[in-house]
Amino acid sequence: MNRIDVAPILYRRRRRLVLRFVLLLALGAGLWLTLQYLNVRLERFATLFDRLGILLTERYYPPDFEYILRPRFLQSVLETIHMALVATLVGLLLAVPLAWFAAFNASPLPRAGQAAARVVITGARAIHEMIWAIVFIMVLGYGVLAGVLALTLGCIGFAGKLFAEEIESIDDAPVEAMRASGAGSQAVFFFGVLPQVRTAFIGISIYTWDVVFRSATVVGFFGAGGMGWYLRRTADQLQSDRVAAIILLIAALVVISELVSHHARTALEGRSGQRVLER
Amino acid sequence: MSVFAGIQAAPGPPALARWQHARRRGHITLFAVIMLLLALSVWAVQDSVIPGTDWRRMDGFAAVLMGFGRFLPPDPSLLPTLFAPALQTILIAIVGTLLGALMSLTVALLGAANLRPLGAPGYILARGLMTMSRSIHEIVWALIFVSAVGLGAFAGILALACRSVGFVSKLLAEAIERIDMRQVEALRAQGASPLDMIRHAIIPQLLPIGLSTLIFEWDININRAAVLGLVGAGGLGLSFHNQLIASNYAGVTTVLLAILAVILVGEAISVQLRRRIV
Repeated sequence: MNRIDVAPILYRRRRRLVLRFVLLLALGAGLWLTLQYLNVRLERFATLFDRLGILLTERYYPPDFEYILRPRFLQSVLETIHMALVATLVGLLLAVPLAWFAAFNASPLPRAGQAAARVVITGARAIHEMIWAIVFIMVLGYGVLAGVLALTLGCIGFAGKLFAEEIESIDDAPVEAMRASGAGSQAVFFFGVLPQVRTAFIGISIYTWDVVFRSATVVGFFGAGGMGWYLRRTADQLQSDRVAAIILLIAALVVISELVSHHARTALEGRSGQRVLER
Repeated sequence: MSVFAGIQAAPGPPALARWQHARRRGHITLFAVIMLLLALSVWAVQDSVIPGTDWRRMDGFAAVLMGFGRFLPPDPSLLPTLFAPALQTILIAIVGTLLGALMSLTVALLGAANLRPLGAPGYILARGLMTMSRSIHEIVWALIFVSAVGLGAFAGILALACRSVGFVSKLLAEAIERIDMRQVEALRAQGASPLDMIRHAIIPQLLPIGLSTLIFEWDININRAAVLGLVGAGGLGLSFHNQLIASNYAGVTTVLLAILAVILVGEAISVQLRRRIV
């Protein structure tokens, strides 16, 4: 008696297959058109690996490690670390109040202050720190200050958003309780908000250091201080063995910095018992 | 009295003392950390920022303000010429993210601790690639590919793809480590090939988190694509470079605003799409 009519099932299944095929075709056509528009010659893709192989084995290898051990270069590495340090500290100090103003549930000035803080954070975040670096170089001239300011903006954009999101996800009950008993917005922030986000803020700060340090290694590419300038110079002069050594050094420094931060975050997790943001 | 007696008996003075001690230790640690950071930054400012900056060129605070003033007002007549570069930037980001996704899937499968299709060497290779991809800045990736395939969007696409592998494949590998292995086992028991297992047991389980990661990465890649033009990969970065070379400050502001607009639109699209997936 319980006969199942398979026709509609088959029909639906066939329709889904056809739809999927059409979608795939449209995607393929779109991709092809895009590649044509961007002037990407796919035949170069075939020779890409040969070329990369030749590039890596003949020009980048062997890396000129002697170059990166020269005192002038090592000085620039130290300068890079200094830039990242100052930019992270100043950036974080500015990002905390900005995030406080930008968070919808804790902002002391819910209208104008919130909008202004959001504009600052979004603007700092949306424009790449390399572009900020160039803008600062145009005004302040070549040098470390331009790089530090660009990195500071990058730090504000990055940490500010994460801080604000963290504040927005807190438990509102303590804040409400404090407000109800007549606490001012500063008191609410320091005793209602901050204790809830402290661990997360420290985790984000450690993570921000990683991001800022990574940017600091190349922010000097257009003359904003640090080792990036040497990367530019050796790349422009086609001294690929030196470029290779610098790239390897950057990778090593970033890995070391990430290992240290990873340990710091694990220690923080162990002490606080809270999960700390990790990427 | 009897009510308070119960409370006092439980924590007691030793607990209070312990708590006060821990609190005082916390304060001392905090103070030490702040002092250390302060000392480090003073050292950094004295050793690098002050000697490494051309203070004479700035010529006082007023001159610096004037310098920033030159960027205003933006030059709206430039806007029509920015549509094509903006489109290029967005397309470079899309294709770069897609290519990066393909590469990431491979790396993630190799680097997932519960699969290890190629054993320990494949796992180590995959983890190494993830770290390499993340630690090399997009500008450096672009430099490498410009010297391999020449100037143009192709170098930018490859650079973005390589830069994306680190983040995307790490998240994908973590997602693979959490999948329901029974589905894979079921297919294996029926004699399915590894490709079938990937296609029918692994990818369907990865789809939601994978798509949401990709959209997020695309959003970041627009930001990166806008800067790659500075080293010869086309798009809005090239327009920025052209205005910069010409010292056209108003034009620089216009390009900056265009980049801002593109990124804000991309972010809005990204948020909407991810909300629909999750």
